[in-house]
Amino acid sequence: MSRRLGAETLSIRARRAALALALAFLLSLTAALPCVAAGTVVVASKIDTEGALLGNMMVLLLRAHGIAVDNRLQLGPTQIVRQAMLAGQIDLYPEYTGDGAIFFARESDPAWHDAARAYALVKQLDHDTNNIVWLTAAPADNAWAIAVRRDLAQTQKLTSLADFARHANAGGTVELAVSAEFVDSPGALPAFEKAYGFKLARSQLLTLIGGNTAATERAAAEGISGVNAAMAYTTDGALAVLQLQLLADDKHAQTVYQPAPVIRGAVLAQHPEIQGILEPVFRSLTLERLQQLNARIAADGDAPAAVASEYLRANGFLR
Amino acid sequence: MMPRNRVLLVLSLCALAMCDFSTILTIAPNRLVAGQPVTFWQMGGGISSAIGAGCLVLLVLSFVPLARYAEYIVLILALAVLLLLLIEVGARATVSVIFGPHGTRVSLGWGFWAIGFCLAMAIVDALQRLKAGTLARLVVFAVVIAGAAIIAFEGLFDGLSIAREYAARRDEFDAALGQHCVLVAIAVLLAVIIGAPLGLYVARQPQRSAGIFGVLNLLQTIPSVALFGILIAPLSALGIGGIGAVPAIIALVLYSLLPVVRNTEAGIAGVDRGVVDAARGMGLTPAQILWRIELPLGMPVFFAGLRIVTVQAIGLTVVAALIGAGGLGSFVFQGIGQYATDLVLLGALPTIALALAADFILALLAGFFARSRS
Repeated sequence: MSRRLGAETLSIRARRAALALALAFLLSLTAALPCVAAGTVVVASKIDTEGALLGNMMVLLLRAHGIAVDNRLQLGPTQIVRQAMLAGQIDLYPEYTGDGAIFFARESDPAWHDAARAYALVKQLDHDTNNIVWLTAAPADNAWAIAVRRDLAQTQKLTSLADFARHANAGGTVELAVSAEFVDSPGALPAFEKAYGFKLARSQLLTLIGGNTAATERAAAEGISGVNAAMAYTTDGALAVLQLQLLADDKHAQTVYQPAPVIRGAVLAQHPEIQGILEPVFRSLTLERLQQLNARIAADGDAPAAVASEYLRANGFLR
Repeated sequence: MMPRNRVLLVLSLCALAMCDFSTILTIAPNRLVAGQPVTFWQMGGGISSAIGAGCLVLLVLSFVPLARYAEYIVLILALAVLLLLLIEVGARATVSVIFGPHGTRVSLGWGFWAIGFCLAMAIVDALQRLKAGTLARLVVFAVVIAGAAIIAFEGLFDGLSIAREYAARRDEFDAALGQHCVLVAIAVLLAVIIGAPLGLYVARQPQRSAGIFGVLNLLQTIPSVALFGILIAPLSALGIGGIGAVPAIIALVLYSLLPVVRNTEAGIAGVDRGVVDAARGMGLTPAQILWRIELPLGMPVFFAGLRIVTVQAIGLTVVAALIGAGGLGSFVFQGIGQYATDLVLLGALPTIALALAADFILALLAGFFARSRS
């Protein structure tokens, strides 16, 4: 009897030990993660080409000015990066002004279609609600767009979306490669159709599941399933390489997406010089420059850090 | 005339057909546009011909009745042709990159993978027919790896697109590989610490098994992307942070629990009741029965579960890149975003290699345990 009792207490002890061990493990994990030295700035970016480019520029510039940096570039998609920012897990990353429409659920506000007003609005909202500061944005606007094959653009004389509407309404062949999001979100294709007065039938749309612009642009370039037009971003580096013509959005049907460094207020208070370090660089980033730099990463396959460093040196931002 | 070795006949015929018309390499002026397919015929040259001739000899060997020697010849010939294939694609890629425009990309075509697969299978088949032991298999494996390593070290692979993706992110790759291994190791360790006692409990209290397995089965059916996403909100509320390693590890542990619990329970329950009764009759305490009888006897089944869990976790960790945990998945998702197949492969191939290596090592360990007991 006594032996049995002994065995039972032993197994209870063993179980307790195992439980304690597991708990200790979990605790050490949580403790080990956010341990970043004081004064270090955690720089992140979205998991895309332009995020890698702009993020690397920030890392290089901050380091060159003697600020310690924890590199968390290519962290994840927009929601993840934004949540990390709100939770204080990252300090600085490049974000687009137009994304404020989704962050603050104000998609219907007309301010998003005007660069200056969009910037002022998102800066105000994020500062007041989250103590997050939007530093000076780049003049480039990385908005949603439609690009057509260059041969189609030349034969039909298409340079703007007004031309595209004329072509579509005249019964010209249009086969547009899109993502589901581009078709369904009211700010994207429906906004174009409303502003320029055309309507594409479902049969004229080739929806790529989980499609991004790299896939839609390639579909148009290769003419897969007769596709001759593609959903695109205006700063995509692939457009020129793939012989695609971007159509101008003269009526500003799209939300403006200017990239800007976004920083937590507390971190900016510690390092107020960051504003002055990043401002001239972002001011220099025009649409054409971003397209060229993105192309070097996407088309030539050069390392984002190398492309960023070369640009900063060539323009005198880094010595 | 009847073939001596039908497996080799099929494999060598396939390889020969691939040598004739399949795409060995694709060459593109840059990373975005689709490449031009290149066959061995278009390449020409001595090595291409030697590879074709080697496959032809393998075909002949599948008919020749040379008893044991034939298998040795097949083994050595298949190894040689495999290495020649690696040399040829490497050399061709290097030449194309040197003479092509700045962004030139040379990717491996499906013909390369198909011929490589046929040759690898011919090697495995020869080893089986020779009844080769673990040591002999390891030696052959080491020869292939060493050969590939020497070719890589000589810089012959540097022209291939996947090598250029690697060269552009050398430091990132090393960090990602480390993160991947650490995530898997912690997750599997935690799954064993939590799952093994739970399996033991279920083995002792079978009436509770339906409920526990119900929950674990349910967890297993949640798609991984969804589970990673679901964890973000509650963890952020707890102040732990919904992104990074912690939610990734929690999700991996949840997925790993079912195989660990199931196999621990099966291992214990599978122990012959007669043996346990005999032990009890000899006066062993329940604790002694557990440690000396049940656990050692149940170990092979437990190890089988550990293998499943480890391989599964290595694969699932790829998805963890979407919640900021890093790992090899970050290359997969960057590659998908840029439509860069070779960047996807830079994440996918090492993941496959890790899974195979882990499976192999755990199988060796399981064999060692089984042998040391008997």
